[in-house]
Amino acid sequence: MAVETAERPEAHEVTQEVQTDTSRFQRYRVRTGMFAWMAHRLSGLALVGYLVVHIWGLRALTSPEAFNALIAKYHAPIYKVGEFLLLVAVAYHAMNGLRIVLIDFLGWSPNQKKLFWTLGAVTAVIIAVGGYPSIYALVDHYFLS
Amino acid sequence: MQLNVEIKRYNPEADDAPHWESYEVPADPLDSALSLLLHVKWHIDGTLSLRKSCAHGICGSDAMQINGENKLACSVLVQDLVDSDGETVRFAPLPSAPVIKDLVIDQSRFFEKYRSVKPWLINDEPAPERERLQSPEEHEMIEDATKCIMCGACTHACPSTWADPDYLGPAAMLKAYRYTFDSRDRGTDERLDVVDSEDGLWKCYTIFNCNQACPKEIDITRWLSALKRKAVTS
Repeated sequence: MAVETAERPEAHEVTQEVQTDTSRFQRYRVRTGMFAWMAHRLSGLALVGYLVVHIWGLRALTSPEAFNALIAKYHAPIYKVGEFLLLVAVAYHAMNGLRIVLIDFLGWSPNQKKLFWTLGAVTAVIIAVGGYPSIYALVDHYFLS
Repeated sequence: MQLNVEIKRYNPEADDAPHWESYEVPADPLDSALSLLLHVKWHIDGTLSLRKSCAHGICGSDAMQINGENKLACSVLVQDLVDSDGETVRFAPLPSAPVIKDLVIDQSRFFEKYRSVKPWLINDEPAPERERLQSPEEHEMIEDATKCIMCGACTHACPSTWADPDYLGPAAMLKAYRYTFDSRDRGTDERLDVVDSEDGLWKCYTIFNCNQACPKEIDITRWLSALKRKAVTS
């Protein structure tokens, strides 16, 4: 035990005034890992929102006429944009999900940045190929016909 | 070169909230970031408070946020932070940590989490005559994780910690990995009870901020993944 002297009294617990910034949003440099996670969260939330609209669309399944009328509405240009964004969200969410599985299940953590860029390239190809019909339909609607 | 050093200052006796202050500091590209702070403290404003001890990346006292990322101030060179004269280097305390004064944070919660994972050898078997031996192969499993210096850069870089202050965080769970995967340890079940919980492993979303922040370049996410696999298979 420390010797107690007049100059150096025994230490007492001091209640300090502590400044805490408890916000869950902190300013921090965004690198690949955090970008991948944020985009995963946002695309996931977007897909949940889409799912609600999608299920809601099924309300028209009561009669063939009502269903056809609803489906006809989906040919409007705004839905082509939505179709494309849906593909972007699904393709990214699926590929980054695969990345997380490879990291967590197979221990591919040391290659996480390479994985991000490789699967990012695959995502871009999926979006380009799969999104062509929607984009073509849009271009056709506004510029060609 | 002449640099503009910005420091997030907070004096609990005078300020209501932290604020930024700027200082002109002469520097050499091969100086450490810590030397910029010490120049401010020794030649410009002596009231600046910061923790430092060995200044050689061993004690882990001077982890802080430098130019938006958590780093060990003594282990990062000026030339790796700025390219030319007149640029700005920004120092702030570790994000989301309670600030006592200026760059000094209250680490008590960080060490509470550390103690909660039982970071010691658990083995009730009778001790051998000399020592509990471990083969080089067995040690290799935990070699990377033993390099941790408990600076807190990783835990305070983790968005899961920012969102949930009770989350154990990468530093504590890396210790759990280090002992769980130690061939001499028998405390796997006890430790998994702690980390396989609501505030444990499953809030690691493989964001990799911890890996990026670690001054010892430990592949923390990799070892937490191994601990996750252990938790679901045992």
